[in-house]
Parts: sequence; C-alpha cells; structure tokens
Amino acid sequence: MLWVDKYRPKTLDQITVHEDVAQNLKKLVTEQDCPHLLFFGPSGSGKKTLVMALIRQMFGASAEKVKVENKTWKVDAGTRNVEIELTTISSTNHVELTPSDAGFQDRYIVQEIIKDMAKNRPIDSKGKRGHKVLVLNDVDKLSREAQHSLRRTMEKYSSYCRLILCCNSSSRVTEAIRSRCLNVRINGPTDDEIVKVLEFIGKKEGLQLPSGFASRIAEKSNRSLRRAILSFETCRVQQYPFVSNQAIPPMDWEEYISEIASDIMKEQSPKRLYQVRGKLYELLVNCIPPEIILKRLLYELLKKLDAELKHEVCHWAAYYEHRMRLGQKSIFHIEAFVAKFMSIYKSFLISTFG
Amino acid sequence: MTKKENNLVVLSSDEEYCGGRSSSSKRRYRKTKSQSPLPRKSTRQAKKARLLGSRSCLHKDSRNVDEFNLFCEDFDQVFSTFKVSAGSGGMCRNELWIDKYKPHSLEELAVHKKKVDEVKVWFEDRLRTPKDANGNNVLVITGPSGVGKSATVHVIASHLGAKLCEWDTPTPVIWQEHLHNLSLGIQYTSKLDEFENFIGRMRKYGVIPSCFPNDSKQPIILLIDELPLTNGKAALKRLQNCLHLYVQSTQVPTAIVITDCGKVERTDLTVQYLEEIQLCLENAGACKVAFNPITNNSIKKIISRICCQEQYSLAVEQIDAIAKSSGGDVRHAIMSLQLFCLKPSQICSSSSSALESSKENEEVPPTVVDDRFSFQFGRDESLSLFHALGKFLHNKRHTSNELVLDGEFSVKENLSRRPLNMDPPEKVLSQAHGQARPIADFLHENVIDFMNEEAVDDAWVVASYLGDADTLLSSYERMLARHNDAENILHLAAASVAVRGVLFGNSHPLSSRWHAIRRPKLWQIEGSSLLNKREMVKQRFIAYGGISLADFSVVATEYIPALKWLGSSASGDRENLPVLSDENTDFDLVNSGNGESHTSDEEIEDW
Repeated sequence: MLWVDKYRPKTLDQITVHEDVAQNLKKLVTEQDCPHLLFFGPSGSGKKTLVMALIRQMFGASAEKVKVENKTWKVDAGTRNVEIELTTISSTNHVELTPSDAGFQDRYIVQEIIKDMAKNRPIDSKGKRGHKVLVLNDVDKLSREAQHSLRRTMEKYSSYCRLILCCNSSSRVTEAIRSRCLNVRINGPTDDEIVKVLEFIGKKEGLQLPSGFASRIAEKSNRSLRRAILSFETCRVQQYPFVSNQAIPPMDWEEYISEIASDIMKEQSPKRLYQVRGKLYELLVNCIPPEIILKRLLYELLKKLDAELKHEVCHWAAYYEHRMRLGQKSIFHIEAFVAKFMSIYKSFLISTFG
Repeated sequence: MTKKENNLVVLSSDEEYCGGRSSSSKRRYRKTKSQSPLPRKSTRQAKKARLLGSRSCLHKDSRNVDEFNLFCEDFDQVFSTFKVSAGSGGMCRNELWIDKYKPHSLEELAVHKKKVDEVKVWFEDRLRTPKDANGNNVLVITGPSGVGKSATVHVIASHLGAKLCEWDTPTPVIWQEHLHNLSLGIQYTSKLDEFENFIGRMRKYGVIPSCFPNDSKQPIILLIDELPLTNGKAALKRLQNCLHLYVQSTQVPTAIVITDCGKVERTDLTVQYLEEIQLCLENAGACKVAFNPITNNSIKKIISRICCQEQYSLAVEQIDAIAKSSGGDVRHAIMSLQLFCLKPSQICSSSSSALESSKENEEVPPTVVDDRFSFQFGRDESLSLFHALGKFLHNKRHTSNELVLDGEFSVKENLSRRPLNMDPPEKVLSQAHGQARPIADFLHENVIDFMNEEAVDDAWVVASYLGDADTLLSSYERMLARHNDAENILHLAAASVAVRGVLFGNSHPLSSRWHAIRRPKLWQIEGSSLLNKREMVKQRFIAYGGISLADFSVVATEYIPALKWLGSSASGDRENLPVLSDENTDFDLVNSGNGESHTSDEEIEDW
C-alpha cells in the first residue's frame, strides 16, 4: 500500500492537519443530527480523508465494509429510456459515487439514485429509521441541470438521507445548493503542517530525514499533502539514505509540459504548432485532464515571460479555458491558446528586438 | 407530338386548376391541337396577364377576357390530352422516350465503340464454342448508372440472335403484403434465398429448354441485372459463395450488371459489399468490363437525333446544357430532354416568373438558357470529401479584387480577402455530403500544412474558428434529445464556421503544390485515450485503500506518475495493478479495425 493510504488517518480523532475542523464535525455528529455538508478546497488538502473519517464516526467500523458495484441505471427520461452505467462504492449506510462520470446525463443519476436510496432505508438497532449518507464527488463538475435537480432532490428527500458533497471550487456550485449545505472549507495544508506529517511518516518507517529535506518536499508539493507524501515515497525508492539536496523527481507529465513551453518560446510558426500538437496528444492519451494541461502550460509559460505580456496571456488562457468547457474537443482550444500565445509573443519579439 | 407530351407532365397546380375550372365552362373552345406549341410570345404575355389579373381581377374587363382566353388555351391542351389518352389507351403514346428510343442496333448505342466490341467479342466467343472447357462463362459489367450497361447486353443479344434470359431483382415485399400473404399461408422467402435458388438451378440444369419451346436451337444468354442487396456479413458471405460456385461451373454465358455508386459514398457499407462481390467474382475467373460515363458529345448526338425524330428544334445551348447536366447518364439526359420538350415555354417561365412579375414587359429571349436551367434538370453533382477538403485547404482565390464594395460598407485592409475561386463553401460542403464534425477534424488536422511558415497569426485565427465550430457542435450534442431541426441548423452553422474560418484565416496560403491529406490523428488519440481511461477507472481503488472513490484526475496526474517512479516495489505490494501503457502507446493497436483507415493515405493533387 502506498504511504498516502497507509498513513491516512482513519478517525476524526487521528486527524492532525485540520484538527479543529475534525473536532467540530465530531461534536456535530455526536450531539445532533448532521445537516447536508459541502466540503470544498484544493486537491490534496484532505477533504476525502475527513469525509471518510466522518462516516466512520457516524456508523462505526461497518462503514469500511464496502463493495464496489458497476451499476446500470435505467432512467425514464420522458420520451425515451436512458441507460447509464456508473461505479459506486457502498456500505450498508452510505453510497459514494461520482455523478459527473455520466457526462451530460448526470442529472438523471442524482435523482434516480437518491430515489433508490430513499426506497430502502436502513433500520438501526432501535428500530428507528436511520439516515443514509450519500457522498457525491466532483459536484463542481456537474452540469447546471444536474445541480438544479440536485437541489430539488435535496429538499424532497432530506428526511431520508444526508448528502456529503465534495468539490474543489465552491464557485462552480450553484448558490442554491451552497445555501442548503453546511459549507466546510478545507484549506491546503501549510508547509509546516506538511513537514510535520512527513516527519511523522519518516519516524514510523524508521527513516533518517536530513534537515531541510522535508521542507523542500513540502515546498515543491504546492501545498498538496498527497503530492508531498507521494513524492516523499518516490524519493525513498530512488535514493536512500536521503541527502538534503537530493533531487525530487517531478511528475513526468509536468516535465513534459515544461518541455512544450520551452518549445513554444523557442520558435513561433505553424510548423512548431504542429509539433506542439503532437506532444499535447501524448498528454491527452495518458488521460491528463485538459484543464490541468492548460493551467500547467500557462504556469510554465508565465515563468519565462516578460512582465508586460503576462496580463494578456492570462486573459487568453482564461478565455480558451472557458471555450474548452463549452466545447468538446479540448485539443482545438488548447491549440488555439498556443497559437494565440505564439502570435502575441512573436509580435512582442519583433517590436522589442526588431 | 403534343398529345404525347402532355401525358407525362407532372401537372403543375396551375394547369390542374385551369383544367378544373374550364371543364365547367362547357368546353366551348376548340383550338386545334396542332397549334399547341404556342407561339412563345403570346403565352408569355398571356401568362403575365394572368399573373397580374389574378391580383386585380375586377380591375379591367379586357384583362379578364384575356385571362379567360388563356384559361381556355391551357384547358384545351389538357383536355385534348385527356381525350386522347382515354380514347386510345393502349397505344404507344404512354411511352417514355427512354423506351421509345431504346437502342436497337449496335450503331445506336451511345457506349464507346471499343467497349461494345469487347463485350460483343466476348459473347461471340462463348456462343461459338458453347461447351467451353475453361469454364469462364461470366462477364461482369460495371459502371455508373445510366451508361447503357443493360442496353448493351440487350442489343448484343439481339444482334447475335441469342435468346436473352433475365433475372430481374424481384420487387420487395412490403409489410402489408407480407401480412396478407401470411394469412393466405404463403411463407416469406428472402430475396437472397430466391436468388440463390435461381442461381442453383441455373448452375445445375442450365436454362431449361421447355421455357422456350418454339426454338430450342437458339443460343441463350443470361443477364443478371443487379445483384440482390445483402445486409450484414453473413448474407454477403452466402451471396459470394453462391456466385463463386456459379462462375466456376456455369455453362450459360452470363452477364452480371453491377452499378457503381461512385466513390463518394464509400463509407456506405453496401457499397463496400458490392466492391467485395466484384472482387470475389473476378477471383472466381469472371471477365470484367468497366463502362465509363458517356461523353458529352455522344449524349449530344443522341439528343439531337431524338429531337430530329420528334421534330423539335432545340438550340445548341439547350442541348449542351442538358448533356452537361446529365453527368454522363444517357437515361437521365433523355428524360430531361423529354421534360424539356414538353412545353419549353412553361418551364422557362415558371423558373423566372417571380422575376418577371416584377419587371414589366421585359422579355427573356427564348434561346437563352438561364443558369437555373441546369439546376432544374441536372443530377446533383457530388464531390468526394477529399476533393472538397482540397478546395478548402488550397484556398484558391481570384488574383484580382473583383469584389467591388459599396462606398458605405468598407472592410479594413487586414480583414478583406480576395474573392473565392470556387463555389460558395456551403455548396461545396453539401455536394461532398460533409458532416460538420469530420470536416472540422480533417481541417484541424491538415490546415497547418497549408499555411505559410511565418503566419502564426493566421494559425491563431484558424484555430480560434475551429474552436468556435467545436463549441457549436457540442451544444448540438447537448440538444440532441430535444430538437431535431435546431440540431440540423447548428450542424450546418458549425460546418460553415469551420470552413469559412479556415478560408478566411489562412490569408497567406502556400502556393499550391502537391499535398497528402492526413486522416485526423485526433481520432486515434481519442480512441486510445478512452482505452487508457477505462484502465484507469479500474485503478481508482488504489487510492484510499479501496474504500473510497478517488478523483479521476488525481489518479491520472498523481498516482499513476508516482507509481511509475515507484515501479516494481509498489506494484509488488498490490499485484493487481496493471501498469498503464506508456506514453508511446501504439496507436495502431487501438484503431486498426477502423473501416476508414484506408482513406488515410488518400492523396490529393491540387485543383
């Protein structure tokens, strides 16, 4: 098992990074009925860890006995029947799923699954009807329609189940949903916190950590705890005992994108654009999400860019990111951004150096 | 002459109306039939009068009279037709010119002489030594529709004095008929079964002489006109087998006529099947003669011959136009000729009546064939997708700026382009049956090759427009369930945006040279990316120790690379982790089965 999972805190009490949040949640669950929850925060900040610990707090160890199901839902969508396949993880008391996997049919999923859950509610030991918990991942990736129907179902079935929503950015969740949930913001852990966690793991694994090494990993991790632990483990595999100035292996795709960025800076021509396209294809084949590619590419380009161009380039990146969400084939839009950048940069070079 | 023509007219509503009206008016008007190819001028004016008259009926008496006269003329023609056709129903007036002027001798055939000879010699050989040991008794004749494939066989057969025995494709059974048959206890047999039976019989027994009791010494030629349609691989296999056997064993000289559907609809499965069948027949040892579309000149000759016999005088331009618009299809040419000869005045005027009603007293000289003429009669030209793409990518423009704009509307220097040296892009698209999505993909893949080295700005404009097209198309997909019409419009709009974007954006196209058009790599990428994604979905459970779903992008961007670094040590822990295929995924693996792969290397020259 990877260290990330091996040393993941299982209960709310074990949680160290967001201790205050964890304690509050514990109080909330033990003292009274829990409202719908919306966790939001950057990736690698510990949302899922909190959610899982919370579920365990609610239902005890039985929450860890899960089964993975590939369910097919038959939904009657007015004029025709839609079949949607989706992977769910469920225990007796909770179901977890990622509705955005269903693509543009996501709005059916939310309704249907909640109805389904409402039908067979678990009965607890005292004969009282309990609540089921539904964990929805990536709520921010849900379409508008799906979010709307989610809002309706939340109201309609609130006596049957509790929703726990997870997302990266609350700004893409509609106001209506946000106001119906208890919003819990999970910040990315600070570098110090990350260092503490890494030292904890190092102690458990019996590793010698040279001074400054953990903080270098933390710095590189971009405040993502998962990232930090993963690269900590890769460092361990690459070279042990650690040296304080040991190279921290970057993610391969990040390296690749920085290569693309320097390609773009070196030459601006349709031919080069074509080469860049080939490289982008390779990233896409490996399922790197296009939004992340675009973001990373912008980051790499900005590093090398003259200050006066930064604003304009950012503007176009945002523009094409938006177009990409509207469109379907991300490569068209990423490429359009690259072409635009080339065009801006080239005219800048001509005007400065003649 | 005129009696006959009227029989065929698809009665225009106009005429029907007149007929209905005037029949109530006691049939007083007696104009001789011979007069009916009316002097053009009078019809013209009368017609105009009617147009005006219908608007202002009460307005002038004389007009009304005029109008009435006109009604009666029209009526007279129609009426005479009715009478004639009713009176002498069985006579040859119902005949279409295609039937009437069917070639009866080798000389009359419009097919190229060489081809005819080829076929003739072949048949002569077979008939001279009927029990030929080499077993090669089948001739496959291919060619586009209406070039006289069947006609050639017919003529040759009669020329050689042979009895022609035909297999005609049976008419399909419609559902109601089938129900009816069922109630009568008649089982349905598929057309393929029937064909197989027939072929089997022919193979084993030859043509049974008792069919032709009067003259059994006459040699026999079998003509199979159009093979039955096959649906699905299994049926195709059956048909191939049965034909193969037949080719190898038959004793009867046989001509199999297959119509090419042209290269345009290559994606169509049935076309592929036809090609496979042709191949199979050739492999079995059948001879093949391919007919070409008939040349304009031969068509013109035929048209003028028919005109001569029907005593019509058509202007050279008109004959030209008909020949040109037929696209090498004699049957079509004759049909349009017949339609055209019906009442030249009416057809021309109906196409321009809208114009005329606004323009007073301006006569269109009857000899001038307007452009729309070819539209009305012509077969639609079709283009291959590659041809169309070539046009768009090469971006040919007129050298001089012919487009004169009004003073009030001027375009900035950098936005103006010289006029296109081609049909409007939308028209080209429709001729190529271009679907928006593949068109956009193809353009995206190839347009960079056609750009000037320096023109990054152009690249941006083009990429941006293609992005727009993509956006339009994706909203199309979301609406899919709801609006059918909206979908079409969006589709058209997207294709137009993509194409015009490319034409506009590529403002410094390379001077035309020879280029290969690539198949979009994007399709491969999507395929393999989907495959990898599925792999990855399985790996989701590596995170969180399997008790929770990991975010997909997290798996892709963090776990997988980390696992790559960790290599064997990590996967040793959990053996069930298949290591994801590397960056250099072999794309061919994914899409090798794709039917369209053979088009990828198709090359275009510049037009």
